[in-house]
Amino acid sequence: MKFLMLILKNLRRNILRSALTSAGVMVLVFVITLIWSILGFLDTVTSEKTSNFKGIVTEKWSIPSQMPFSYADTLENGAAREDTDIKPMDSMTWQFFIGTTEKGKGFSLKTFVFAFCMEPKKLLTMMDELDSLAPSPKAELEKAVEAMEQNRQGIIIGQKRLAALEKRVGDRIKIFGVNYRDLELECEIVGTFPLGRYDNNSCINRDYLNASLDAYKASQGKPHPLANKTMNLVWVKVPDRDSFAQVSNQIDNSPMFTTPPVKIETASSGVANFLAAYKDLLTILRWALAPSIIATLAVVISNAISISVRERRKEMAVLKVLGFQPNQIMFLVLGEAILLGVVAGSISSIGTYFLVNRVMGGIPFPIAFFSSFPVLDGALWWGAAIGFATSFAGSILPALSTRSIKVVDVFSKVA
Amino acid sequence: MTDQPIVRVLNVSRYFKRGTERVNVLNRLDLDVPEGQFLALMGPSGSGKTTLLNLIAGLDTPSEGEIWVGDRCVSKMNEAQLARWRNAHVGFVFQFYHLLPVLSAYENVELPLLLLPLTARKRREQVMTALELVGLKDRNSHLPSQLSGGQQQRVGIARAIVTDPTLIVADEPTGDLDAKSAHEILDLLNVLQRALNKTILMVTHDLRAARRADRIQHLDKGRLVDQPDEELYEAG
Amino acid sequence: MPPKDTAEKSMLQKVLIDLWNFMSFENAWMLLPCCFAFFAFVLLVVYFARIPIGYNIRNLTVRYRTTLLTAVAFTMVIGVLTFLMGFINGLRILTQSSGNPENVIVLSQGATDEGVSNLPFENMADIAQQEGVARFNDEPLCSREVYLVLSLPIAEPKPNSPSRRLLQMRGLYDPDASAIVHGFELLPGGSWFSQAGVRPPEDPSKQAIVEVVLGEGIARGLGADRSEETRKAAKDPDSLVVGDTIQLDTRELLVTGIMKTEGTTFDSEVWAKQSVIGPLLGKTNYTTLVLKATSKESAQKLEDFFSGKDPTNAYEKSQVNAQTETNYFKALGQTNLQLLIGTIVVAAVMGFGGVMGVMNTMFAAISQRVRDIGMLRLLGFSRWRILVSFLAESLLIALLGGLVGCLIGYMFNGFRVTSIVSGGNGPGGKAVVFRVLVDWGVIGIGLSLSMMMGLIGGLIPALSAMRFKPLESLRG
Repeated sequence: MKFLMLILKNLRRNILRSALTSAGVMVLVFVITLIWSILGFLDTVTSEKTSNFKGIVTEKWSIPSQMPFSYADTLENGAAREDTDIKPMDSMTWQFFIGTTEKGKGFSLKTFVFAFCMEPKKLLTMMDELDSLAPSPKAELEKAVEAMEQNRQGIIIGQKRLAALEKRVGDRIKIFGVNYRDLELECEIVGTFPLGRYDNNSCINRDYLNASLDAYKASQGKPHPLANKTMNLVWVKVPDRDSFAQVSNQIDNSPMFTTPPVKIETASSGVANFLAAYKDLLTILRWALAPSIIATLAVVISNAISISVRERRKEMAVLKVLGFQPNQIMFLVLGEAILLGVVAGSISSIGTYFLVNRVMGGIPFPIAFFSSFPVLDGALWWGAAIGFATSFAGSILPALSTRSIKVVDVFSKVA
Repeated sequence: MTDQPIVRVLNVSRYFKRGTERVNVLNRLDLDVPEGQFLALMGPSGSGKTTLLNLIAGLDTPSEGEIWVGDRCVSKMNEAQLARWRNAHVGFVFQFYHLLPVLSAYENVELPLLLLPLTARKRREQVMTALELVGLKDRNSHLPSQLSGGQQQRVGIARAIVTDPTLIVADEPTGDLDAKSAHEILDLLNVLQRALNKTILMVTHDLRAARRADRIQHLDKGRLVDQPDEELYEAG
Repeated sequence: MPPKDTAEKSMLQKVLIDLWNFMSFENAWMLLPCCFAFFAFVLLVVYFARIPIGYNIRNLTVRYRTTLLTAVAFTMVIGVLTFLMGFINGLRILTQSSGNPENVIVLSQGATDEGVSNLPFENMADIAQQEGVARFNDEPLCSREVYLVLSLPIAEPKPNSPSRRLLQMRGLYDPDASAIVHGFELLPGGSWFSQAGVRPPEDPSKQAIVEVVLGEGIARGLGADRSEETRKAAKDPDSLVVGDTIQLDTRELLVTGIMKTEGTTFDSEVWAKQSVIGPLLGKTNYTTLVLKATSKESAQKLEDFFSGKDPTNAYEKSQVNAQTETNYFKALGQTNLQLLIGTIVVAAVMGFGGVMGVMNTMFAAISQRVRDIGMLRLLGFSRWRILVSFLAESLLIALLGGLVGCLIGYMFNGFRVTSIVSGGNGPGGKAVVFRVLVDWGVIGIGLSLSMMMGLIGGLIPALSAMRFKPLESLRG
């Protein structure tokens, strides 16, 4: 590319302008990367999968869902009764335990613990993202799960939560129940979650919670008020849509679940129903904010390029006199804009990808039950694409205007 | 020098529309320039000399008449053809040099060669030859802003001859220079004409510059005139 | 997952809340005259310093394309921000006007949200008997309520949209008392549900029909959930009206009235008799007790008394969380804070983009006019006059672009949108319907942002213009 040098030299000519324009491109691409990541992530979790369906069983009417633990076995088997009935491939139960490490003080960011009480080994097979870890974090999590199997009072805590609690792996903590009043759990921290989605969550062995509830009944002489309402969610995994429909049918028709009745929905539609309340907010993000940022970007680039074209009309006339074709000059201008847009856009979105995912551990944007969002892999090329599209849109008119530069202007006597 | 004309201007008129009025800049003009001649075009402002230069150099097309350079009819070519033709056959020297400020002397001279199918090595050879000819070989990496006016104009001349054109067109090449630099530039043009047998067309106001040419042709009101009104130039 | 917040807030949050309260949109209209006053001040300086402003304006019009492009960048940035702030402002007004300062809302200890509150039966009567609670027919005036969120399947779901909707139901012990406490009126043609809360079905083999009263927002929402055909056949295609029914599993809910609730959080609620829907949905106790105090002051006293602010005069029979409704809804503004932080980030970033744009323009404008500036300096114009003249130029672009941006934002004023308000992060909280409110405060903030961008973007180039040495610039 003989012309690349020319383009680069032209960008270097007004370093200030190139820098200002790139800075504009970078910050705007940064925001778009964040917005698209959040929307993209929500789209993924709400779009139906074609295989490996996860279903969520909850109480039919009430929110929050509170089912008796006695439902657990039947639901984990997909309420299969006949031989022809389908059993889920895998399953897990969730009981939420919300607590604080300081008694009687309400809860604060420094003392707050939110735990899923479940079978530890299901962490490796049923939890989103944890079921598809890279070998080394996986090995670490396996070790922690093993420790939880050994020690019923083991707890795994997300890294951010652990830091906020000012504790380390190996420490013992006492957690005072907030949703389970008058229940205290004594746990030993046996490991952490890999950075990311579960940074603020914890996991406790469900056997320990259930045993503690039994102990409460023994000591108080009456069951805990929530004793019959401890199970919040049951997850089941089925191979495909048809098996999901059948399992759903089995659960709907089971005589087991009367008080309270239960329902099963796909994980994605469960989330989608919940997000319906945020619909307008997300629509604004998607259709008002992101496009207007992109448009602003195009305008900023357009402004910079039209200024630089206007300043260089005479030079372009000289190039024409020397034999350059109008198209070649137009491409010089387009190339200049696009090079700047693509490079600045890529730096921004790729930088955002690594900064947010590796350093910050996600975009902090608490909405529904998501507290933070990863920057999606698409961000690696989004910046280049946005940079290309906006710089092309912004520079095409100024570039076309160079075609009308008259060669005879070059001899005019005004310097 | 041969008598065979390399530039033939045949019955050429050029007029512009200014509002509803038609302004005749050139009026049925004929001119032959033999190969290897150094021709100075002189005339008062508005006499049409720059327009004539533009037409011969293929920057503009006549309203009527034909212009031939060598065996090509310049006045019949379209814009893209003209651009290619200019690149290969015409070298331009401007009053204000018109060098690209972001490029070094070397790169400025190389610019027209980028459009030709040449290897990088061949380009380098030609650029260095041209710079040597104008005596700036050792300054090839300087930016225009680091050169004096005379030196910039010499870079401009190197750029004009680097493609080995048939015709060199110079528009007031000394107009922006002091007397000493102007003298040097005119020497250089004489060298090009004699040593390389280039045909040179120069527009100028300056009678001293014009006298360095083989032939002086005067224009007035769009026509060639034989007896110039000397006072015009004394004043200018 | 439950709320993971937090009675304690981080320093940053505290500062933001203070800033929020101080700079609330109510005071922000003052920014508007400030903007114009500032601009007028600049014009006055221009006038009295005899700065040839005509020269600047002519330059703006000669380079009209760049001027327009820069102004358009301002317009877009300010347009979007005005709209976003209008959204937050609408939400703010909603939480503000939902609360009645004379009402005290009592939840169980530790519950920040009605959804997780559980009031012990035995204490409710005693709580209501405290001094400061207004009386009606010789009974304490209070509303005993159970608040439930349920997930209602949409009978005729549309493709690619959710199959269920969250429905917020409030069961009332005594509809008459509750109507007085909350003070909602019904739209003409409606009536409150009966003391029984049910009416016999036409077909005696079926279960009794449950009577409900809807907020205007949820009536519209449920109305929109119906299929095209049903809507065409309905009495009102856009909203449920008195006489329409909702299917809840095997039970039929009959709409007997629509409450005038627009602009409050109650707009999205379905009200029914507690003794009917409590057992129906498996929640037999109460979540909420709303006391009507005799005055604002006694409401505040009740709050202090129940929450034990003064240990010598505190309620000791049970631990409850009591707040005046005003304070309760203010806490729900937590969502506002999150949105506000988001908007500030977006504003900063878009503003930065705009500033880059105007800087480019002004630097180019100045570099084109180096000789002119040198000439002006030679003629005796001082440095600061040059500064002011270029600053005025960028401010003019900012004012122009900003005004149009505010106008675009204003076009969204009154748009009806839905969102969620909650006292903490995470789910829980109330789905609400409200209108985008672009008032003078929002416009004031938008315009001052625009001027600020113009000021920052114009200042650096103008400073550089100021530093030119006259003779050197003339030499170019």
